[in-house]
Amino acid sequence: MGTENPGRQQFPPARPVATPFSVAPPQNMMPFSSSGPVVGSEASGFRPIPPGAPQPMVPSSTHVVGSQASGFRPSPITRFSDPSVPSPPTANVPPIAGQFQRFPAPHFPSTVQAPLSHAPPIGQPLAQPPAPPVSFRPRPQIPPVPMGSPPQTVNPAVPSLSAPYSSSDSMYQAPRPNFQSSFPGYVRMQSNADSQAPPIPPPFPTHQGGYASSAPPPSSYPYLAQPGGYVPHPPVAAPLGMQSRDQMQHFGSGPPSGSIQGLMEDFSSLSIASVPGSIDPGIDSKSLPRPLEGDVEPKLLAEMYPMNCDPRYLRLTTSAIPSSQSLSSRWHLPLGAIICPLAEAPDGEEVPVVNFTSTGIIRCRRCRTYVNPFVTFTDSGRKWRCNICSLLNDVPGEYFAHLDASGIRIDLDQRPELTKGSVEFVAPTEYMMRPPMPPVYFFLIDVSISAVRSGMIEIVAQTIRSCLDELPGFPRTQIGFATFDSAIHFYNMKSSLTQPQMMVVSDLDDIFVPLPDDLLVNLSESRSVVEAFLDSLPSMFNDNANVESAFGPALKAAFMVMNQLGGKLLIFQNTLPSLGVGRLKLRGDDLRVYGTDKENMLRLPEDPFYKQMAAELTKYQISVNVYALSDKYTDIASLGTLAKYTGGQVYYYPSFQSAIHGEKLRNELTRDLTRETAWEAVMRIRCGKGVRFSSYHGNFMLRSTDLMALPAVDCDKAYAAQLSLEDTLLTTPTVYFQVALLYTASCGERRIRVHTAAAPVVADLGEMYRQADCGAIVSLFSRLAIEKTLSHKLEDARNSLQLRIVKALKEYRNLYAVQHRLGGRMIYPESLKFLPLYGLALCRSKPLRGGYADASLDERCSAGYTMVALPVKKLLKLLYPSFIRLDEYLLKASAQVDDLKRLPLAAENLDARGLYLYDDGFRFVIWFGRALSPDIAMNLLGADFAAELLKVNLKERDKEMSRKLMSTLEKFRESDRSYYQQCHLVRQGEQPIEGFLLLSNLVEDQMGGSNGYVDWLLQIHRQVQQNA
Amino acid sequence: MVKLTMIARVTDGLLLVEGLDDGRDLKDAEFYKQQAKALFKNLSRGLNEPSRMSIETGPYIFHYIIEGRVCYLTMCDRAYPKKLAFQYLEDLKNEFERVNGAQIETAARPYAFIKFDTFIQKTKKLYQDTHTQRNIAKLNDELYEVHQIMTRNVQEVLGVGEKLDQVSEMSSRLTSESRIYADKARDLNRQALIRKWAPVAIVFGVVFLLFWVKTKIW
Repeated sequence: MGTENPGRQQFPPARPVATPFSVAPPQNMMPFSSSGPVVGSEASGFRPIPPGAPQPMVPSSTHVVGSQASGFRPSPITRFSDPSVPSPPTANVPPIAGQFQRFPAPHFPSTVQAPLSHAPPIGQPLAQPPAPPVSFRPRPQIPPVPMGSPPQTVNPAVPSLSAPYSSSDSMYQAPRPNFQSSFPGYVRMQSNADSQAPPIPPPFPTHQGGYASSAPPPSSYPYLAQPGGYVPHPPVAAPLGMQSRDQMQHFGSGPPSGSIQGLMEDFSSLSIASVPGSIDPGIDSKSLPRPLEGDVEPKLLAEMYPMNCDPRYLRLTTSAIPSSQSLSSRWHLPLGAIICPLAEAPDGEEVPVVNFTSTGIIRCRRCRTYVNPFVTFTDSGRKWRCNICSLLNDVPGEYFAHLDASGIRIDLDQRPELTKGSVEFVAPTEYMMRPPMPPVYFFLIDVSISAVRSGMIEIVAQTIRSCLDELPGFPRTQIGFATFDSAIHFYNMKSSLTQPQMMVVSDLDDIFVPLPDDLLVNLSESRSVVEAFLDSLPSMFNDNANVESAFGPALKAAFMVMNQLGGKLLIFQNTLPSLGVGRLKLRGDDLRVYGTDKENMLRLPEDPFYKQMAAELTKYQISVNVYALSDKYTDIASLGTLAKYTGGQVYYYPSFQSAIHGEKLRNELTRDLTRETAWEAVMRIRCGKGVRFSSYHGNFMLRSTDLMALPAVDCDKAYAAQLSLEDTLLTTPTVYFQVALLYTASCGERRIRVHTAAAPVVADLGEMYRQADCGAIVSLFSRLAIEKTLSHKLEDARNSLQLRIVKALKEYRNLYAVQHRLGGRMIYPESLKFLPLYGLALCRSKPLRGGYADASLDERCSAGYTMVALPVKKLLKLLYPSFIRLDEYLLKASAQVDDLKRLPLAAENLDARGLYLYDDGFRFVIWFGRALSPDIAMNLLGADFAAELLKVNLKERDKEMSRKLMSTLEKFRESDRSYYQQCHLVRQGEQPIEGFLLLSNLVEDQMGGSNGYVDWLLQIHRQVQQNA
Repeated sequence: MVKLTMIARVTDGLLLVEGLDDGRDLKDAEFYKQQAKALFKNLSRGLNEPSRMSIETGPYIFHYIIEGRVCYLTMCDRAYPKKLAFQYLEDLKNEFERVNGAQIETAARPYAFIKFDTFIQKTKKLYQDTHTQRNIAKLNDELYEVHQIMTRNVQEVLGVGEKLDQVSEMSSRLTSESRIYADKARDLNRQALIRKWAPVAIVFGVVFLLFWVKTKIW
């Protein structure tokens, strides 16, 4: 925040600072308020910040120093560092003096301005001393940073106002603290601390003098601008966690969306500075931005509109909606939202339930928007204005409440729907086509020989049995089973039986259901029969030698059993469907198809049967989850269609062996069966006039143009939607979005979950960049790219992704580069600093990577189906997994899990003496270095140490270290239960497993035909500069 | 054969339970469900209806009993013994009052007791077949007298309400139509005016134009 001050100063010259700022658009409120009262309040305002910033800085600064040395840039930095840097380049000396004067000057203005009218400059400094405590903190960091920097060749060109962006940013950031705090009082301190700084004190006074006399705005003006510019850099350079935090602050500091025309210029320059980062070609890779902190949810919007729903439910790719079509066409990134309507809320933040039975649910007459916190009441409470279509509606008598003097309803505190962005309404009868359905689970299990051999049946039966108590919806839950090989077996589970009766239907051409009832039974009544069935199921088919699979007919039969009620159909499939309708053949083995126009056909369902079936299933509220466990090709592309269009999910366990993958299947099936599920749901997103959701992405079926049919939804599914502008010009200052999910809860209640959010409309592209949400953009990108692989070559999908990133950066460059003479540097918005890296990771992800040899077709397709449904956090983790060194942690008894630091995903970070954990949210890979102390290995693996690690299962042993490791892994698993991370062990140099498990996933390394991180950035940079 | 089963609160017609897979072998189940709902609405208007009644509709017949301000309704084939149907409803009533009796008045959402549907399913199966020993015994049991239960036609029952509805609907249609008529009349008036004066205005316009041109040219 402190950084902004310099920027502020600009204002005074331009015009009375105080006013613009205070007036400045509310959005920036936060930043401003802290920094606004620049001088006077600094003492108070600043404090909070420095503490936050300093910590992260320390590490960063150290890195930076090293890196800078290598990739250095000439830069004015010197001046900053001068104070602290003992040995400035020779050339510097003279300039320094000059700079100093300048240096202080800016401060002054800042100090002066706030008090502007009242405070004499001199007085100010005095006043500041109180601040020193604050300023102190930063200092510690300072020394390291500047010190390292000496290598710089000083930029002779003092004018290098803008130039300073570069890897050297790090320098900046470090200095930054000085900057902020470098008020008179501060400086002195500093000098004391760093003995080197003798020159400083003198300059200071001079400033003051200079300042007082030369206060003329013009002189200070240019200068100031620069400081502003500097400030922002810090975040960029700061390699690690810092950034996120800083970033937020910077955001805040961003220019008030150009509300005041006269100030526009200054603002934009300021903002530039505050946003872009820069990279020098050939720079040290350590300083590149990396999302080692994981995903950061955008907070600015939430601060601007505190009544918005939480970002875990709805995230916009940019929180600033473009005001015109021309503007949105210049925003080359996707414009849209990621919606996770049932995201798990932490305790205490559950969505409140509202019952409107007496009045009926209050909705807008015209656009059917649900009442929400953004509607306004007028006419002394008798009418309300819809925030989306601005129609004036009557308030029903029972809902009437008086307004107080400020136009707010007096009963506001008892009305969660008027204060919270997320609420649930209890749906009255009009929202029901039929009485609420009970949870229904139907299992369709492959019992052909390969399923028997893999041990799948046993695990499935055990898991289902253990979950019977936890299935949602007791006592109404219904359950049923069918198995299939070359025939279909049904099971009569009538509650009066003691043993289930098996009925075999072998006529595959004309499927019929042998019994009208009792194939799907009430679990609580037939509990004992169900248990008896599950106990005997594994042994029933023990010596089944049938190799065929009548999958299609079995699916049809399951449909016939379920279509009265709907529900969830879980398919366990182990053999390529070979009989009856929906029979599939081997494909994807043909290397030659890759790279031709027919390549994408491999990723599409081969037989229209599957899509038709999916449409039918959705119509009858049946959702399909496919568990594919084959060791051979099973054509996930076709089977996955079933899940895709019915709101289901694909689980893929390549070459499943119960001994190895059993745990994973068990956990994921348990999760699937026991998580809170919403049934027979439909979802619609409404948005304000002038904008429209133009396309939807994810696992569902569109029922009309904008109604998503979701036979089953749960907290692990997210949906994406793209937004387009309908009108050439948006006239409203705010756009509202409302997600409404009508569903039946497992307990039999019909509910409507409504999330409402508001976002400002802006006319400035820079603001859009500033408010961009990298996580949401990447999520939307990945969905678009994966969909593109269905109609184009992989190569094309990757290229179009890259092209869009390049276009976006180019546009950004055009916005700022010219006026700041950034020359050959790469600039990007602070908010999107991870975009290139995620873009690279996306190109390297399973659905998009390489060609034929890099991932099997099934893996590609299943990963594709999985990724289009992932929530933002989970997806980012998959794209840029966490990578942690464990050995030191395990050896130190006192070490805490929180101390573990994520490392960049590059092989250069692998130390042969180390033990590393790679966690992408779907699996763990533990990598044993070649020179890892045998002690650790013995402790963890016991006698298995010498064995081939692929076959070893990590289990808890009676050793302290082993327990610690297991509890750590368990902790990581607990943080997100949607998938179970199975643990793979690999030893350094163990080929090809090492390459396949770990090395190919190190995103930042060069692999095969694809670029490493640095090369990728350079490539993007080059493309950005071409005809820029 | 029991086709449909519904339980509703009489005071406001709120549906409390509905048999779940009811009507699976019924072609126009939706139509009959609507009729049943209309019946409930009728009852909730407070028309003094007897507490037990049978209502014929098409090939089926509704039976209902009202007790404790709750209406238990079922729809059967006409051939299904009346006695059994009412016995079935009695069974439901006893169980429902036992399980949910206390909460009936406070239920605030539709289908609040949907969990009861499992019991409905179970009971229904017992009454499905009229020839079981159990049901025959019940039929012969003279304890329960159903002969005096009135049978009416659904058209009569719903007709009362419907007529009222029709009247109000007609009157509202009348207002809107008359408004449209007024609008149209005004429109016609305006058009007549235009038709009358437009030629004159055009003539004048042309004349003035000519004058103007003349003055310009000369």
